[in-house]
Amino acid sequence: MLSRLAESFYWIGRYLERAEATARLLAEHYHLTVEDRSVPEDIAAAVVLDALTLPHEIVHTPTELVRALLGDVSNPSTVIGSVGAARENARSVRDALSGDVFEALNGAYLTLTRGLTAAASPGASMYRVLERLMVVNGAIEWTMSRDEGHYFLSLGRSLERIDMTGRLLDVRHDLVWPDTGPVATLRAAAALSPFLRTGEAPTGEAVREFLVLDPTFPRSMLHSARAAESAVRGLQTLGGVDDGDLVRQVGLMRSRLEFAGGLEDSSAVDHLAHDTQLSGVGAAAAVAEAYFRQAGTIVWSH
Amino acid sequence: MHTEAEPSSLEAYDEMIDASGRPRPGMGTVSDVLTALGPEGLAERARLRDAYLDRQGITFSLSGRERPLPLDLVPRVVGAEEWDRVEAGIRQRIKALELFLADVYGPGEVLNDGIVPRRLVTTSNHYHRAAFGLVPPNGVRIAVAGIDLIRDEVGEFRVLEDNLRCPSGVSYVLENRRTLAHVLPEVFAGQQVRSVAEYPERLLDALRAAAPSDVSDPTIAVLTPGVHNSAHFEHAFLARRMGAELVEGRDLFCRDDRLWMRTVRGARPIHVLYRRIDDEYLDPVHFEPASLLGVPGLLNAARAGNVAIANAVGNGVADDKAIYPYVPDMIAYYLGEQALLPNVMTYDLSDADQRRHVIERLDHMVVKPVDGSGGYGLVIGSSATEAQLVAAAAAIEADPRSWIAQPIVTLSTCPTLVGESALEPRHVDLRPFAVNDGDNVYVLPGGLTRVALPKGSLVVNSSQGGGSKDTWVLDEGSRAPDGEGRATPPRVTRVRRSAVARHHAPATADDRLRQQEGQQQQSSPAAGVPQSVPDEVATPC
Repeated sequence: MLSRLAESFYWIGRYLERAEATARLLAEHYHLTVEDRSVPEDIAAAVVLDALTLPHEIVHTPTELVRALLGDVSNPSTVIGSVGAARENARSVRDALSGDVFEALNGAYLTLTRGLTAAASPGASMYRVLERLMVVNGAIEWTMSRDEGHYFLSLGRSLERIDMTGRLLDVRHDLVWPDTGPVATLRAAAALSPFLRTGEAPTGEAVREFLVLDPTFPRSMLHSARAAESAVRGLQTLGGVDDGDLVRQVGLMRSRLEFAGGLEDSSAVDHLAHDTQLSGVGAAAAVAEAYFRQAGTIVWSH
Repeated sequence: MHTEAEPSSLEAYDEMIDASGRPRPGMGTVSDVLTALGPEGLAERARLRDAYLDRQGITFSLSGRERPLPLDLVPRVVGAEEWDRVEAGIRQRIKALELFLADVYGPGEVLNDGIVPRRLVTTSNHYHRAAFGLVPPNGVRIAVAGIDLIRDEVGEFRVLEDNLRCPSGVSYVLENRRTLAHVLPEVFAGQQVRSVAEYPERLLDALRAAAPSDVSDPTIAVLTPGVHNSAHFEHAFLARRMGAELVEGRDLFCRDDRLWMRTVRGARPIHVLYRRIDDEYLDPVHFEPASLLGVPGLLNAARAGNVAIANAVGNGVADDKAIYPYVPDMIAYYLGEQALLPNVMTYDLSDADQRRHVIERLDHMVVKPVDGSGGYGLVIGSSATEAQLVAAAAAIEADPRSWIAQPIVTLSTCPTLVGESALEPRHVDLRPFAVNDGDNVYVLPGGLTRVALPKGSLVVNSSQGGGSKDTWVLDEGSRAPDGEGRATPPRVTRVRRSAVARHHAPATADDRLRQQEGQQQQSSPAAGVPQSVPDEVATPC
């Protein structure tokens, strides 16, 4: 597979995951702030924007927050911007995608850019976005061969998921809304029922530990790190040019989570979450180094 | 060759209705279906079409904006016998043009013998010395051609221009057929339309045949300028349908006179490059030095015989519009045959007499730049303003070699959906596509019909707001089932495989209860399960 194609697949994975995680966070956050008015609206908006490292000068109300995060094609940190960026990448690798994946992604983009109005019911709009993204992910899982393209897509998705789970934890729903916050965090990660089945009470601490260390929930950091490791090992098996640095970095990230065991207090979990998020950034740089920017190529100059 | 009488302004040939007002052969069903649908039905289908194209992302960029290629719902039909003549004419033309290219980039006999004026070849912007003596591995320079045809006032097909560099539009031919079958299936009833689906395979075969002879399993790549090119959809479409790599200049490099692409498994060689970028951008060593779209060293690799470039570099000299009037002479010279498809009468403006003749009646002429495409720079005398005519005359006088003039031909018309639901005649042309694998020239049955959507307009180019039509070549076999012509296709018998029982989850007590309630209410024997396939019914528990 061409390096350029691989890079596009990787970014399709990242942007789709970013769009989905942002939309989930936004939908849940909107409901939370409508139902629980204990926190001033501008502060409620600011904690989300801070976690996503977006400027928050002009955002004061829940509706403004929805509008800002739904965004537009010019900002790839927003929902529409991410889907637009995923579609741009898909256009350039269209020959290597299954028709279903492209159509689903194109359809999602059209739904978002035409006639999706945040004003009427921001929550309903977000659910519509999520529904479309599920169709895209279904098409990816059911129609793409498990070759390099899928590995790169899945690697991008896993690394982005680690990052977005970290950001979700950074919102600190549990501190800002002590009563309703922990459940809101779970909902924003689509983790409410999986968590409740563990039998634990949804305290801030238990929720944070679940999202970092649960071995079976697909959005936990541990599960995402395992998925990332499996993708980089798969690439190596197929003859990828990775010299081992990428596998080492991702493997270390996964083992730190895997063998963390017996963490005494919640600050240890938070440290681990933060370190994992940074490892994810390091791994992303190693992916680019190994696969997207190969050294030793001839450059023409005149 | 230039002495043919200028046709007087006649009525356009109607592709659907003959002089007596009856539908032409093959148009009967189409006409019936359209009548039965009525205006509301048509508008409904048009909405269905727009939604389908939108969702599929079948688009081209028009002046920077991405939009679906407007597909008209009314197909255009070409009769089988008529098509046979077109096909033979295109084959003949391509054979002659191949020989011409081999000649002008080699011995130059056609020039020595004075058949084609040497000055026209050497002054052509697309005659590249870098291609001189560069012989492709299997000798094919025109792997893909798009020959633009029009029907004149009496219904005769004529060649309007040859496209031997990077003709585009074939993906729309395939997609148009699929789209029409999706939104208006009933027009296909009762007749066999010749399939266009095998084009990608034919192209792949031709590209494989073009590979250097020491490569047994060649790697084929399609070179695109990138996602912002107007034809990117097509480049991706062809690469996907051929299972070839779609590459951009930045994916490629040359080393040791070989072409390589950068992959996640390291550098991999490419043996055949189906390039969809112009010569000028192909190799900065020989052409435009600032080009980032191409690959430095590509021509040297081709000259060393390690990579085949399709279409070949320098083909533009053969589709130069100033060379075009000489193609019938080439056919006579190389093949000893008369051209089966006539040209449109064309004036050589570098000849002083012809130039004066043209300038005196510019308002009856079409003036075209010799190396323009996409309808850019075209002046249609009858609809031009006085100022435009004066400007055109001045441009011709200043640089006669850069222009040709043709008397205005009224293109044939097809009924076309205009606005919501009205059918009106609009002018059309036809671009059949041909693929040359060195042994055979395959002509795709039909081709791209382009339609000028504004009323009365004669400019069909998609870059000028033109639309397209699904184009049918009827299969003779289906028109005359008892006829002599083609053999009837073999009957396909269904092979019955032994049925495999389908597994169902064991029903829970709840399910069983509901099932029994349901069975009690449903008196029909079917009860949601086809009785004829008893194997598939799993007994509860």
